[in-house]
Amino acid sequence: MAGTESRGRAERRSAGALESEVLAALWATDRPLTPAEIQADIGGGLAYNTVHTILKRLYDKGLVLRDADGRRGAYRPAKNAAELTAEAMHEALDRGPDPIAALQQFVTGLSPEEERALRALLAGGGA
Amino acid sequence: MRIDVYTPLVVSLLLSVVAPVVVGRVGPALAARVLTSAAVLTAVATTWSLVLLATALLGDAPPVVREAREDGHRLVDPVPEAVGVAAAAALAVVAWRVYRAVRAERRTRRALRRLCAGQPADTELVVAASQVPRAFAIPGRPGRILVTSAMLSALEPAERRVLLAHERAHLAHRHGALVTAATLAAAANPLLGPVRSAAVFLVERWADEQAAAAVGDRRTTARALARAALTAGRSGPACALNFTDRSVTLRIAALLAGPPPRLWPAAAAVLALGALPALLAADATSDLLALLSGALH
Repeated sequence: MAGTESRGRAERRSAGALESEVLAALWATDRPLTPAEIQADIGGGLAYNTVHTILKRLYDKGLVLRDADGRRGAYRPAKNAAELTAEAMHEALDRGPDPIAALQQFVTGLSPEEERALRALLAGGGA
Repeated sequence: MRIDVYTPLVVSLLLSVVAPVVVGRVGPALAARVLTSAAVLTAVATTWSLVLLATALLGDAPPVVREAREDGHRLVDPVPEAVGVAAAAALAVVAWRVYRAVRAERRTRRALRRLCAGQPADTELVVAASQVPRAFAIPGRPGRILVTSAMLSALEPAERRVLLAHERAHLAHRHGALVTAATLAAAANPLLGPVRSAAVFLVERWADEQAAAAVGDRRTTARALARAALTAGRSGPACALNFTDRSVTLRIAALLAGPPPRLWPAAAAVLALGALPALLAADATSDLLALLSGALH
């Protein structure tokens, strides 16, 4: 069932969204990834050629690097801009009334019993 | 006028009581829009009522009184002077609170613009190479999604897709503007604080529902939330907002419970509640204008 359904979804994902997914996949791991590995990681019936095109676009923007000394054809994320962004973020977080806290964040804090309940959920237990 | 002008205060209290009830019973997209609209209408009405009450002080101003006496008009003063003075003071507080809220909003915008510096203009995802697990949407043209590397490496591939879809929904549906509107309404009328909290929670639920639809799996969406919450919970201080501190658990429960209902009657009732003080304030305005013109002509 997942096959056709997710293939249909993949087609509907925009180029910008796919770019984000590939970039997110590269950042999620410490080691460089080949296009094939990225394809397997993202899933959703994405064509190998599409992954390649996206990587080329990210490379042209300077967001990913070809791994020179590692495996041929593998890519890793470029750190410069991301480090600048992190610096700006930490600066904003450290400053007085937290401007970032004012934003809607993906998640906020937890109590100990909530933490236990969430761990149970992730362990595949009952909901 | 006497009743009209005080009704918005009663309605704000009612709204703040109704908001948490609406949260659990109406679909998040509809509930967020309706509650925010009602809050903005009510805040405008309460502020305008204060203006009317304070303006009534002008009726006691010596030149007006003298002129009216000379013209042989009988003065009707529906607002006791003490109330007028209190309204003027309250108005000053409101102005100060709104000013502060706008300033905080501006400061946030500026900080966010700085975050995107050095990133290519046409890229949706902005990664921060940071060990602090964070993720949020940055509204603007184009809107951006900022995620730290720590958050990305904590999630499974499908969960990363949930995260991106969630933040994308915030941008696509302009949740930033909605929350700003609710925040300014609560600044103008502190009684609306609970309505603002409800709106903040509802836009998260709304984005969760959109993410679940995009990924096609409510359970994966719930797992993404759980994992992100556990990762974020381990480091850094928690946001101690009265409503959001239990929000992740509530959001996960809502996702696992199935698609939310769309109860139009409940939503319409809340909107009507918000529109009521606006209508009454308009009525009170015409009363005041009639009164003033009666005194002056």
